[in-house]
Amino acid sequence: MEGALTPPTAAVPLGQAAAPGRPVLRWSSRTRSIDGVAKELARIWSSVSLTTPGEEGDAERRVAARSSVMNLVVIAGRGEFGERAAAIVEGLTGRHPSRTLIVSPADPDGPSWLDAQVQAHCMLPSATAPETCSELVYVTCGGESGQHMAGIVAPLLIHDLPVTLWWPGEPHFESRSVKDWLTMADRVIVDGAGWSGDGLSGLVAMASLPSRFQVEISDFALIRQARWREAIASTFDRPALLPCLTSIDRIEVAYSARDGTPGMTNVVRPVYHVAWLASRLGMAILSPIRAGTEPWSGYSALLRLGRRRVPVAIRPVESSSPPGTTLSVELHATRNRAELSVGVTASADGVVVLASFDGAAMPERTFFGPRLRESDLLAMTIDAAGRDPIAGEVLTTAAELIEP
Amino acid sequence: MATRVKVPRAAPRVAVSAPGSLPIRQERLARDGKRRRPSARHDTNLLREGLRLERVPDPHVVVLFGATGDLSHRKIFPALAQLWRTNLLPADWGLLAVGRRPYDDTSFREDVAASLHANCRIQLDPEVERQFLERISYHRGDFGDDVTFDTLAERLEQMHLEHETRSNLLFYLATQPSAFPQIVGQVGRCGLDHEKHDGGWRRMIIEKPFGRDHESAKRLNRDVLRVFRESQVYRIDHYLGKETVRNLLVFRFGNGIFEPLWNRRYVDHVQITVAESIGVEDRGAFYEETGAVRDVLQNHLLQLLSLVAMEPPATFAADALRDEKLKVLRAVGPFTRGEVGSEVVRGQYEKGWVGGQQVKGYREETEVDSVSETETFVAARFEVDDWRWSGVPFYLRTGKRLARRATEIAIQFRDVPHRLFEDAATDPQPNLLAIRVQPDEGILLRFNSKVPGLGLEIRPVTMDFTYGASFSADTPDAYETLILDSMLGDQSLFTRADEVEAAWSIVTPIHDAWLDSPAPEFPNYRSGSWGPEAAEELIGRDGRRWRRL
Repeated sequence: MEGALTPPTAAVPLGQAAAPGRPVLRWSSRTRSIDGVAKELARIWSSVSLTTPGEEGDAERRVAARSSVMNLVVIAGRGEFGERAAAIVEGLTGRHPSRTLIVSPADPDGPSWLDAQVQAHCMLPSATAPETCSELVYVTCGGESGQHMAGIVAPLLIHDLPVTLWWPGEPHFESRSVKDWLTMADRVIVDGAGWSGDGLSGLVAMASLPSRFQVEISDFALIRQARWREAIASTFDRPALLPCLTSIDRIEVAYSARDGTPGMTNVVRPVYHVAWLASRLGMAILSPIRAGTEPWSGYSALLRLGRRRVPVAIRPVESSSPPGTTLSVELHATRNRAELSVGVTASADGVVVLASFDGAAMPERTFFGPRLRESDLLAMTIDAAGRDPIAGEVLTTAAELIEP
Repeated sequence: MATRVKVPRAAPRVAVSAPGSLPIRQERLARDGKRRRPSARHDTNLLREGLRLERVPDPHVVVLFGATGDLSHRKIFPALAQLWRTNLLPADWGLLAVGRRPYDDTSFREDVAASLHANCRIQLDPEVERQFLERISYHRGDFGDDVTFDTLAERLEQMHLEHETRSNLLFYLATQPSAFPQIVGQVGRCGLDHEKHDGGWRRMIIEKPFGRDHESAKRLNRDVLRVFRESQVYRIDHYLGKETVRNLLVFRFGNGIFEPLWNRRYVDHVQITVAESIGVEDRGAFYEETGAVRDVLQNHLLQLLSLVAMEPPATFAADALRDEKLKVLRAVGPFTRGEVGSEVVRGQYEKGWVGGQQVKGYREETEVDSVSETETFVAARFEVDDWRWSGVPFYLRTGKRLARRATEIAIQFRDVPHRLFEDAATDPQPNLLAIRVQPDEGILLRFNSKVPGLGLEIRPVTMDFTYGASFSADTPDAYETLILDSMLGDQSLFTRADEVEAAWSIVTPIHDAWLDSPAPEFPNYRSGSWGPEAAEELIGRDGRRWRRL
């Protein structure tokens, strides 16, 4: 076996019983070439019988060995992130990816080299179900190889399974290597809330990817706001308030900031709130988002809903919350001289909705939603594997709000 | 109301950013701000689009009758706790447990906590459990006593104020069926069924069995519908909440390749099995009055049959779905007395070995008559007499103390019309599609393949999809699905009054014929077997055999 080492004793051999619901490391080996990785992956499954007696007494392949869900490629720019990504993916064993490839470049100036760790993590979903496994390949490349990582990944993908590309950190959507990555992917996962500056230029660049490369975009920044959207939508479930939805005449979003200078705090999340409301309600953009000239003046835009002009204010508020976090979303509507004001604010457990209509306060309502960890977000993103037209529209509208 | 089958809806045509959602001229003018875009409709909450997975029900109070019973502790409280754990219950939520036993709030919560520890599929964090339990209160009283319900109404008023639940009430009848009419009548007497003009809803979940024959089901429907409207009534058949059963609709109508084959031209026959390895356990008295026909055939098996045989509904609205299921039940039609003799087999288990353990016969079980004639097994050959299925037999069987626990729907396709591979030692076997409801939930497709080698050997192979390999292991329990649906006002997975009556009209003649027949020769199958030999003969005379599961 080229460059392969024998499985360490820590790995529990396939066929040996595992407790239901507990991930088990079934295989671990290292190799130093792409061919070696392919051979190691094949060796995992050739080491165990996958057949059981079928209905007619003949052998039938009935044991589910590797899950049949997707390839997950993680572009881990920095070494320490690669290890964190590996830990997150291991936590998903038995649940999602069939094969995870974590790729990490190192030492760009030296000679070309490759080091790959091949692992199989398995889990028994229940006592009666067959054990299912995920493969994890951690590839580190040095020298010029590190600049062609997409070419290293391509031959290692399981054919006919969708490819999800998790691109943590700050992807450079305009770089040359982007094309190589995105032509092999069906879905790209990013976290727009972690981008530098206000994050808006990255958002505009990202919005063009679905049409250029036929990929779906999943942004953790948008997924994190699910409970906010549910809370805002629930206000208009009340029959008396539903007509006010078409009479919204003001939107204000407050976000946390340490520095009030426009461009210094990531505002992707507040912009998503506005984009979601605009796309759902069919608002036209009369004036795109503009940064104020004074510190702490935030951003403003002008939308139109029916005949009404809807001013939008996105304002920074000094807060101990992480910069860019949404603190509140306020909506105002006037219908038949009755005023509706809806205030949704962040709380320790989720979000709280306070509304008043025609001078009368509505009962306060809390929507629980603890802060999601990266592993939760990744699991949710992969769970909702199909096309999400709503998210697509929000992204497109957000880009139009920034650069019409 | 959207259904629980998570099919993403199409984007609304008013969206500003959906390219091509408007004619190009309108799109261009709208972008230029010269023409007004279509405004949102006043009757639809457009913000709800795409939020289906995250939806939390309105604030409400659940009133659980029979709260001290086995079903409540084994299924209902654990299901509610899981919904609470996953933030799918509203923060403004409460439960009032109603029962005869002498508990107070504290002692009842202690009992519920013990049930959660024993029965929850994922244990709750202590703090989450505390929050859940503190929303549960206990109301003691007899269902026949007016005072019980008068004080209940007062307590509910108080709970609405405490929890700000806006007068929304979900009644849950988890009592003995004999108490259903009494409770419904009392709820009506106190006016607790009245929905409020400001949106306060009132709904009622009713557990099976819904009646014990056609007449009693009609009578119970009359009693319930005298107080509630059909749109307020949620009759539970927990099989409909199972993930694999719900997937049957997606499998049939979300894939283009199967539906063209789903008819008498390509399908030879269908087998539906609901097999249990357990006996009657400590429910002997209940089972003596029920039997396999009432316990499983009338509801679970006929529901599965209707889902397999139904036409595609025009929409996924609850009534469209239920209309199609009803048509199937009406096409099955009742057996004549003579047909019951030839098309239905009944059985009762005797002692034997199941899973390596010796078990008692049915007549030796606690609270069971030593000369009982109650059937613990039934197999029947039905025909769905409509354009699609005419001439295709549907073999249904269910039983207790069978060799293993397994629920499966098997679609056996017709043989190839011509034997092409004459040199092969074996003929190709007919294709088979098996939908495993439990355990090992998944779908299996059997087809023939050439064995590698110089000769021409043919052997069946299977393509096997298992849920565990493709999806999260964290599959919700059927009760979680159904209780959440009722809180959201989605009736798709609940049976309608006319469906229940149609199902009873199929099985009541079977019971009537048995009443007129000589006493059966029970027991007639060994525990740990696959039922009486007569069941093999029932399918064997058509040249077929039951699948070995």
